[in-house]
Amino acid sequence: MELIEVRNLTKKYGSLKALDKVDMNIPEGRIIGLLGKNGAGKSTLMRCILGFLKFDGEIDIMGERVDHHKESIHNLIAFIPDVSSLDDRLTVQQTIDYVASLNESWNAVTAGRLLSRSDLPLNQKVGNLSKGMKTKLYLLITLSINVKILLLDEPTLGLDIVFRKEFFNTIIGEYFDETKTIIISTHQVEEVEQILQDIIFIDEGKIILQEDIAELKNQYSLISVPTDRKEELEKLNPILITHTLGKVNAIVGSDVKIEGAEYSRPSLSDLFVAKVGGSNE
Amino acid sequence: MNKFKTLIRKDWIISKKTLLMPFWITAGFYLLIILGTVIAYYKGDVQGNLFDFPTDIPINAISYIANLSVVGLPGLMSIIFTIMLMQGALNEDIRRNCELFHRSQPVSIWLRTGSKFYVGLLGNWIVLFLITLFTFIVINIILAIIHQFNFYVAISGMLQALTAFIKTGLIVGSFTFFCSAIFKDKAFLKGLSIIVAVHFLFLIFNSLFGWKLPLPLTYLLKLVTIDTGQRILVGIDEFEALNLIKNAWNSILFNWKTLYQVLFSGALFAGATLIYKNKEIK
Repeated sequence: MELIEVRNLTKKYGSLKALDKVDMNIPEGRIIGLLGKNGAGKSTLMRCILGFLKFDGEIDIMGERVDHHKESIHNLIAFIPDVSSLDDRLTVQQTIDYVASLNESWNAVTAGRLLSRSDLPLNQKVGNLSKGMKTKLYLLITLSINVKILLLDEPTLGLDIVFRKEFFNTIIGEYFDETKTIIISTHQVEEVEQILQDIIFIDEGKIILQEDIAELKNQYSLISVPTDRKEELEKLNPILITHTLGKVNAIVGSDVKIEGAEYSRPSLSDLFVAKVGGSNE
Repeated sequence: MNKFKTLIRKDWIISKKTLLMPFWITAGFYLLIILGTVIAYYKGDVQGNLFDFPTDIPINAISYIANLSVVGLPGLMSIIFTIMLMQGALNEDIRRNCELFHRSQPVSIWLRTGSKFYVGLLGNWIVLFLITLFTFIVINIILAIIHQFNFYVAISGMLQALTAFIKTGLIVGSFTFFCSAIFKDKAFLKGLSIIVAVHFLFLIFNSLFGWKLPLPLTYLLKLVTIDTGQRILVGIDEFEALNLIKNAWNSILFNWKTLYQVLFSGALFAGATLIYKNKEIK
């Protein structure tokens, strides 16, 4: 079953095309990574799905058409942007009460469990919390709402490694099951690579690739040989060549074999660079 | 309805400091008066004729005017704090980077703006009423001790002035609320500047070309003007004074201007909400 269907989605900022005729289907029960360079259109795509932006084209979420600022969409989809977007003027308790009262699908049992496991100071103003604490609070209020789709837009930006790990562990442990879908937009792809099932590469407002990660990796091999054998690799038409200490590596088709080479599976970031190209910054 | 209550509770929490400010200012004002009186008393500077009222004004009229005046300072404060609160109503969340969080909740935009409008206006009116009530009690205890006290006259004076300030607050607050949907900061000043600029532009066009373009500032000031009818009470007898006090309700509340004010305020609220709804969240 498709949870999100995007057809011919175009979004312009003046003369700049942020999204260009995007077609995309998001099935249920998947954890999907949305990868793109800065300004590729990741956040714009998410904000269009949430109805925060005006756009041309069609977006359906579980059969419901998304319009600009359609509040009923938020009964189906939860969103975590950068965790600093909580309201600093409310206390932790007030924030929890506020979200609980506005969301009919609020699950008090989940909220209680997450709260008991955290050390959140209930009477503290959100503005006085550390970024790690804000993350815990955002997770608590989001994961306690029973929605089918969770959108994460660079949620762990500025967090240390411990909180980043905890963030994704909590989401997988508390939220995900085969009926739900998570879309994660992040730069730190290495950290989420292990939990992702599908990947979407986006570049210059266009979807370059949408595929099952296991299938994608099965199509390619990472071959490593000593630096003096670089010419051999170049003859294989690799999609990417990189260098490490004393070695040269190439991503080639999985059926390509050369003698004396080391074989491994390419990482997502290597495949991304191969498909999309280097940084524009 | 429960969602609206939740929004009101949230808006009350984040507006509480500004809303309660007039209480502290009034408390400071009273403290200064008490302190000044005590110092003057010990220095022997208290005037003997402080409560000698003029003889050509009826006693009820004095009581009426005194109770009209009771609302003056809190009324002015109420309007200032309404502006302060309303000019951040629809842009403060954007400035504080929490707009995405609030907009991600399944709540109608009309409920969100309605709650902000409601708390900004009603909150200030409640504060105005409470401060006025306190001052009313103090003033009328003094009047009752040194003079004759007529509850009907006193309460009429207080309520009429209160109504006039509430109506002014409604227009000023709605105008500021509308401006907050357009401008990111200093919404009231920017909105007023545009009204003044358009006003003078139209004035120049009218005088140069003989046109009759409507002057926005004149219209706005007409809607904002407070009319309590207190100027007409000099040189009349007690009976006439009571009649005029009763009739003053017609010039303050029961007239077409009130209807215009309510409709104008409603139009500004609806306009502000539509502008806010139309904005993209980037």
